[in-house]
Amino acid sequence: MRGNPGDGVLLTDTSNPSGSLGPSTGPQDSFAASGLVEHFFRREYGRLVAILTRKVGVVRHVDLVEDAVQTAMMTALTSWVAKDLPEDPGAWLYRVAHNHLIGALRNNAGRLRILEAAANELTVAVDNPASPRFDDEVRDDLLRMLFVCCDEAIPKDSRLVLALKTLCGFSTAEIALRLFLSEANVLKRLGRAREHLREVPPDFDSLPMQALQSRLASVHVVLYLLFNEGYLSAQSDRTVRREMCDEAIRLTTLLTEHPVGATPETFALLALMHFHGARLTARLDGMGGLLLLEEQDRSLWDQDQMRLGAEWLQKAASGETFTRFHAEAGIAAEHAFAPSFAQTRWKEIADLYAMLDRIAPSPLNAMNRAVAIAEWQGPEPGLALLKAIEPPPWLLGYYLWDAVLGELHRRAGHKEEARRYIERALASAPTDAERELLRQRLASLESL
Amino acid sequence: MSTQKYLCMYRGAPSQNKPSPAQMQEMFAAFNVWKEKFKANILDIGSKLKPSGKVLTASGVTDGPFAEAKEIVAGFMIIAADDYDGAVAVVKAMPGMQMPGACVEIREMASF
Repeated sequence: MRGNPGDGVLLTDTSNPSGSLGPSTGPQDSFAASGLVEHFFRREYGRLVAILTRKVGVVRHVDLVEDAVQTAMMTALTSWVAKDLPEDPGAWLYRVAHNHLIGALRNNAGRLRILEAAANELTVAVDNPASPRFDDEVRDDLLRMLFVCCDEAIPKDSRLVLALKTLCGFSTAEIALRLFLSEANVLKRLGRAREHLREVPPDFDSLPMQALQSRLASVHVVLYLLFNEGYLSAQSDRTVRREMCDEAIRLTTLLTEHPVGATPETFALLALMHFHGARLTARLDGMGGLLLLEEQDRSLWDQDQMRLGAEWLQKAASGETFTRFHAEAGIAAEHAFAPSFAQTRWKEIADLYAMLDRIAPSPLNAMNRAVAIAEWQGPEPGLALLKAIEPPPWLLGYYLWDAVLGELHRRAGHKEEARRYIERALASAPTDAERELLRQRLASLESL
Repeated sequence: MSTQKYLCMYRGAPSQNKPSPAQMQEMFAAFNVWKEKFKANILDIGSKLKPSGKVLTASGVTDGPFAEAKEIVAGFMIIAADDYDGAVAVVKAMPGMQMPGACVEIREMASF
């Protein structure tokens, strides 16, 4: 897992007042022309896969369900262009996908007995296209699928890919783009997940949601990962990043609506996402580079989303538990509500990083705490804290570690140390924007 | 008002590639924009044709068509245009024409 989104207070997280922001209007215009809401096909994909998988009871063969939904959508494309949009496009898709699925199950039944039973059940028990319109039922089906994807027996990186595919309706090429992987690698991860799903016992399908409760921690991890992939991504396309964060928020919100998921930890996770989401736009400059927190135009922060973050954080505080998500949401809240960078309550942030480190120990927490302390008390106390850390080998190769050390030495006037660390950070910085920032800092050493 | 009618026949097997849901939404939107732009030209947006059918000759009925896959008519549409240039412009602007392997035969319909 990557560092938490609080990293980069010094280096990566900033904003550019001149970057004209706000979503591009192009896609919206064309969506309006189609008479469908934004992301309609993608959202329907996730909804239909979840509903049909539950109705048929074939988690083991979720790929057959996905094929049926894909085929229904292709049919819709031709039919809706030739005629008009049906009154209820969702019900239309459901009906057609349902029929394709029966056909597919029958065709495969020779090889797989269980599918024959499933096909019969589907034919007899349902075809009531009105039923999946109940919001509660759809929500439960989507959550059920989320819990299916988060089976701890599936490797973590495969869980994320499976969720992006089945729940968010992204193609393997789109997932590859979003996760900076090759398409072959995405297919491999997906294959591993499906391989595991084929071993799921048939009676799994009738388990109530409550039985899946033990997977809640894994669900949190996958949702957190999904959000961070959008938030921390080096992807330069703003809408692509926004989309990933929105998907994470959508699924986490669903989770809060079910008794199994409605825990203070889920609320804290959602608060965290809203606080970071509120700053997402301001965090990117006009070219898709990252702006430092110090440079961000705070007037661009989304007030509505900050309010949502505060509401969820309040709900998260209702119980006795204090989880890593509580600590991270608390840090994000401090940043969100600070009137300016200079007026940020750095002491509170430093304390929260210490609490986070007790719950989920990581030298990254200490590093972030050192950054907060440097803002609060000056570079020397921050450096003292960093010197006390014994960095594990992976941290020594992490550019942010070198960048933070370089920056604190620069502020403390230690020209030589600063140069050494910044040059090292420069060698491994992943994006142009970050390299540019480091070069500027290197240049500024000359005038020290 | 264009008076000449043209029969447009889509040739070739249906594409095997699977667009993603997001791409399908884009295609749907693009088709709607195209339909609106050329609504005066599109007389009958037509239909896809199923891959097999019957061929009736003096000697009887057979299953068909037997043409090469690339010659099989996969769909049709009837448009109005002043001339071939106009008809080509309508079809050229159709979103599906950017797909690799897209092929449409345009034939003026005789009016007698």
